[in-house]
Amino acid sequence: MHFAQKRIRIEQDVVARIYRSLRGKGKLFVAPGQEVTPEEIIGSSQFSSGFRTLNLASSLGVQPDEVSKYIRKSLGSRIYKGELLAYRSERLFKKGKVVTCPNDGILDFINSKTGDIKITMLPQNLDLPAGVYGIVEACDETRGQVVIRTQVSAVHGVFGSGRMREGILHILTRRSDLVKRTMISPQQDGYVLVDGSLISKDSIMSAISNSVSGIITGGINAQDYEDIAGGRLVFPKKLENDIGVSIVVCEGFGLEPMGEDIYEILSKYEDRFVQLDGNKALINLPSYQSNCMIKIRKTQLPQIQPVSFGETQLVELAVGQKVRVIGSSFSAEQGEIIAIDKSLTHLPSGIYVYLATIETARRKIQVPTQNLEVIV
Amino acid sequence: MPKLSGLFDSFDNLDQIAVENIVRWLKPPPEPGNIENYLAQRILYPQTVPITETEMKVDLAILREALRLLSPKSGKGGAMLGDNPFVNVTLRKILIPSKFLYFIQNLSILTWVFVDGLLFGRKREDHFEDLWTIVLTGELDEIIGSLVIPEFKKGGELKLSLMGKAYGLNKSYKIRAGTLMVIPCPKERCQVAFELKGGEILDKKNFAIEIYGGRLGLMIDGRGI
Repeated sequence: MHFAQKRIRIEQDVVARIYRSLRGKGKLFVAPGQEVTPEEIIGSSQFSSGFRTLNLASSLGVQPDEVSKYIRKSLGSRIYKGELLAYRSERLFKKGKVVTCPNDGILDFINSKTGDIKITMLPQNLDLPAGVYGIVEACDETRGQVVIRTQVSAVHGVFGSGRMREGILHILTRRSDLVKRTMISPQQDGYVLVDGSLISKDSIMSAISNSVSGIITGGINAQDYEDIAGGRLVFPKKLENDIGVSIVVCEGFGLEPMGEDIYEILSKYEDRFVQLDGNKALINLPSYQSNCMIKIRKTQLPQIQPVSFGETQLVELAVGQKVRVIGSSFSAEQGEIIAIDKSLTHLPSGIYVYLATIETARRKIQVPTQNLEVIV
Repeated sequence: MPKLSGLFDSFDNLDQIAVENIVRWLKPPPEPGNIENYLAQRILYPQTVPITETEMKVDLAILREALRLLSPKSGKGGAMLGDNPFVNVTLRKILIPSKFLYFIQNLSILTWVFVDGLLFGRKREDHFEDLWTIVLTGELDEIIGSLVIPEFKKGGELKLSLMGKAYGLNKSYKIRAGTLMVIPCPKERCQVAFELKGGEILDKKNFAIEIYGGRLGLMIDGRGI
């Protein structure tokens, strides 16, 4: 008997819970039991995008403690981009100075020791759409979170990094191609990008600076993964981490073309709303067809869905099973077992093993049974 | 439910290995980035086995370095059994888990890897460290031979004679400084005579001794480790 690890790669059209959260404080507009559609606004929040400091003393050419004399707005008042912020009139041998506000905001603070002022950006109203067809199961006003029972196709990667994020899915390359840093632009702000076979550190940095929500890739270099995962390679992951973008690696380390199965289903979700959780290496592809509501209405989920990560399930290898190669030779190739040897084979490495014959899309290969995982 | 085991599932320090240290065991030296990804795949899937000779060489280099991270450091006293599952400095025993034989079936190579990993670069604390017993550990421990590490000077040479009827009364081997040799001696105890030029074993130049033999026999490591 030969055993192999069983890995779930794709769960098609299953009813699951997804979590939708407000960014910042706000209000929810739905109640448990309510049916929602993807475009329906289920909550709204006010989100502050930070602040900006300006050294007014140097801009006006005055002493820091004199700054407040020249400011034309009172503390706590709203000020808009281009509006007069401070003015110093012309003096003997000194030209007058006009300082306008660089962005919309609230004049928040004046530091008379340094001459700095702080302008807090105006809070933005952010509406939260449901993003999916489903039924609201729970609402948490305090945390601004809505739990929706919906139908998804769940894609399970091998490992990843980053908290749950969401966005519109966009396929950047073919499944065996590399992503260049220049392929990621500010237009992809909030998107979930599908890379082909390898994501580099440069491209990850570019994704972060362009506010990309997530990256789905076939492979990643070990050093780059170590850098984003807290400096250690530990599987299953013991600590969650986040670097500002969520990454799901579907195949493994190095140059690993994304499996046909995952690439095919992702391709169907181009320009669709998706969610991904890097730390759990999970991608949720919510159904975009309204008739999924029939199944969602009929299905009840248990109170708490037990999710165990890193637990491996073993299954006995058998002819007809779909498998993926996890060893170094023929890495990440997928196919079907068509035979399992009954006698041992002496490999060039010096080891005696039982070989399984795998029929892939383009060839037949023989692989030690230890180097296979059963995929579903 | 059976558990999938592999060569590297006994180690939780693989990600602490510096890739350049793996590369130094390999000729020609491979691209470090490739080795780094290979190592990461081995951490992710410890149950997998190498198919090609090259993959096996990389696995052996990883094993050497994984053992080296665990090796007892000189001057810190003898590591007792329990401090390190692979060596007992006090009893001068190298302990090789027998399950490793499933993944590296050549006993000489497996022992060589353990010697490199655990003793390479280690400063002797006394002359008794010239002689080690090699034990295969498992449900029943089995002594498989002895490791002799002559303290050679430059150009030194050792003449080793196996004594007894089984060897035609006297079978001799010459081991030069800088070389490693495995001499078959399947008996439980082997009577050996040493004659050294430009070197010493156990602080002696000429002497006879009875040491453990077994499936491996005698490994004479004259590389000056």
